[in-house]
This record gives sequence, C-alpha cells and structure tokens, in this order.
Amino acid sequence: MLPKFASVIARTKDEALSWLSSLENPKIIAGGTDLMVKMRAGKHYSHVIDVAGIPELLTMTEKDGRISIGPAMTHARLSAEASIVRSARSLALACGLVGSPQIRNMGTIGGNLGNASPAADSIPPLLIHDAVLTLESRDASRKVPLEEAIVAPYVTSIDGKELIGSIEISPLRGYREGYRRVAKRATWAISRLGVAFAIREEDGRFTDARLAIGSCTPMPFRAKKVEVLLKGAPKNEATISEAIRMALEEMKLISGIRPSYAYKLPVLQGILEEVLRG
Amino acid sequence: MKTIRFVLNGKETSIEVEDNETLLYALRERLGITSVKEGCGIGECGTCTVLVDDEPHYSCLTLASKANGRDIKTVEYLSSSGVLHPLQEAFIRSGAVQCGYCTPGMLLSAYSLLLRNADPDAHDIKEAISGNLCRCTGYIQIEEAIKNAAEICKCHSQD
Repeated sequence: MLPKFASVIARTKDEALSWLSSLENPKIIAGGTDLMVKMRAGKHYSHVIDVAGIPELLTMTEKDGRISIGPAMTHARLSAEASIVRSARSLALACGLVGSPQIRNMGTIGGNLGNASPAADSIPPLLIHDAVLTLESRDASRKVPLEEAIVAPYVTSIDGKELIGSIEISPLRGYREGYRRVAKRATWAISRLGVAFAIREEDGRFTDARLAIGSCTPMPFRAKKVEVLLKGAPKNEATISEAIRMALEEMKLISGIRPSYAYKLPVLQGILEEVLRG
Repeated sequence: MKTIRFVLNGKETSIEVEDNETLLYALRERLGITSVKEGCGIGECGTCTVLVDDEPHYSCLTLASKANGRDIKTVEYLSSSGVLHPLQEAFIRSGAVQCGYCTPGMLLSAYSLLLRNADPDAHDIKEAISGNLCRCTGYIQIEEAIKNAAEICKCHSQD
C-alpha cells in the first residue's frame, strides 16, 4: 500500500499552479512511473496533484523556429510524433527506447526531466536541441536552459511550487542525427551509456557537430569543447581521434575515474568512432 | 474517498476509491477482478497490465483516480461474448500458458498490438510483449501464438 496522501486531478494549468502554491507538501504526478515507485518505497507527500490530463500540457506547437513540447506528452506519443521524428530524430529514438511499451504509454517527458536520472534517455537528445524549460508558478514564470535545470543526480533547480509549463527545442534539419545506447538487455533496461548526436558535414568538413552523453557522469552532459574542435575541422581520422580523446578527458574531468569506466570508456570510444565516421 | 466512473470491459462502472489507491488494488479488491495480478508492484514484471483506452498500462503504477472517464479492459473482456478470443485459443494450441501468472497481461499486450497492427512481424510481436515477463520463459510459444492469432483474425476480417 502507498503512504496516505490526498490527491487532486487538475483540469487546467492555472488550477494546478494554484494548488501547488496553496497545498501543503505537494507533489506533481503525471505518468507516475517513477513517483509511484518512490512512494511505494515510503516517500511521503501530503498532496499529489495529477497533471496528466491538462490539455495545455499535452500540446505541441511550432513558433519562431522553435518547437514547444507539452511536458505531459508521453514517450510513446513523442516517439511517433511526425515533427519530432523529422526535426529531432534523436529524441524520437530515445523516447522509443525508454522502459517498456507500458512505461512509454504512461511516462511523460516532463516527468523524465523532473526525475533527473543520470540515465534518463530523453535528456541527451534535449541537450543537443538546446532545450529550454519554462517553469511556471502561480505568480511567476521563468525560462531555464535544461543544462542549468538539472543540478545533481535526481536533483533539479525546479522549485516545489513550480511546474514545467513547456519544453522548447530547436529543430535540426539537414543533420545526420540519432541516439545510440547500451543497456544490459535489448529492452526494458536502464541505459548504461547513451549518446545523442547531430552532425552536419559539407565538402569533407564538419560544419556543425552536437554530442551529448548520458549515464556516464552525474548529469548527462553536452560535450561542448569537442563540438568547438569539430566545427569547421576536416573530417579525417586525426580529427576524429582528437575529438574522442577530448570527450573521454572531459568525462574523466567531470566524474574522476569511476569503476565502471573500465567498461564504459572503450565502449564510448567505439560508439563515437562510428558516429563521427558516419 | 472519491467516486470514479469508467467503462470496465464494456460496462459503465462506478466505485469509491481511496486517494492513495492503485488501479490494481481497486480492480482486485473492490471489483473482484483477480486476473490482474501484483507481481513486483514497481512496473518491472507486467502481470498487472490492463488496457487504458486500448493501450497497455501497468495498473500497479496507476492511481485508481486516473481511471475516471477512461475505458479499462482486463483479460475478461476478450471472452465477454462467452467465446474465447482467437488469441486465447491460439495460446492454448501453442502451449503458451505454463504457470499462467503472466498470461492475462500477455494476452492484453497482444490484443492491443493486433488492434494497432493486423499483420505484425516477429519484431513487432517481441516489441509488443517486451513489457511482460514470463518467468517460465515460454516466449517462443507465446510469440507463435500471437502470430497464429493474427493470421486467424485477418481471415475473419476478410469474411
């Protein structure tokens, strides 16, 4: 049985925000695939506010060259959404690999961000698409880049009275884009390593390369130093091996040497070689 | 307590549930539907699978209040006309039922697949049941049963 709590179902965003600000010890629930497990293990909230059915949080819009994703959209829906498949292929692929069909039908992208697992599959793709979260409370609204919203494993800078109102990303067209992951089995497994990439090339040069790596560091990270090195560089083995060396160095700088790196570093090297060679 | 109204296996249903109650608990303890089982209780086994608006969900991770206004199906729906569904017949013929604990969930995931995809290939079938564990590991028979049932259902729909 779950610990005792009172639950309310919000019909609009305003209703959810008003409850968030007035109820004692509240928690947002959407798909529940992470939260229900935590509550079953004893985590207690006084009030649970269900936002999964709020129409404003379920819509996707394109405006001024940015795509705004409703945070209550499920992984299943995002993996099949035409504009995401077309303009954010790594995100569609990653959402299609989360958990199992049941988890994908229930779990939401906003929940995946709020939970902020180092192994969250949706985060590396969102990082390469320069995701910005709109965080709303009853009295204010602010925009925070995803990179700043996650501050430690399972910890975000989202205030207890705030709700993720939308997730904005930049569509990428004309890129070779994808998501590669390694897990203990083919499906229904937590990623041990995930790489989101989007690469544009012209006349034998990398004109733009975006790489984000998950499950290796406390928070998934975008390898920006490597991206700077690759921009404009000739596409050859020297560039690629230097880029990979930098990526592995950056990872070690962030995390120190971890026991799992005996396995992860060579695997990451292999994935990056394939990705960059294309 | 809250009153929730939903369609359960084709019938309008209304029950009182606690705020912190799971759909799994409500189905088993308030409605007596014991085909929906608790295995792990944390979304890692699939034996609590139900269909919510024809999509598989884990009822152990679903608050009962989320069922309000939705269409919920359990395995009883498949034979509600009094005749076993072709999937159930195929499971029997292929020997796809061993201990039976995963079977209701397997059947629902398979049924949901056939609603979306009348002609699934081997990969589609594996993908569709990838959220349901069978500890007897009779996956080959289960996959075969789903493939056979799909063919039978196709024949029926062409009649």
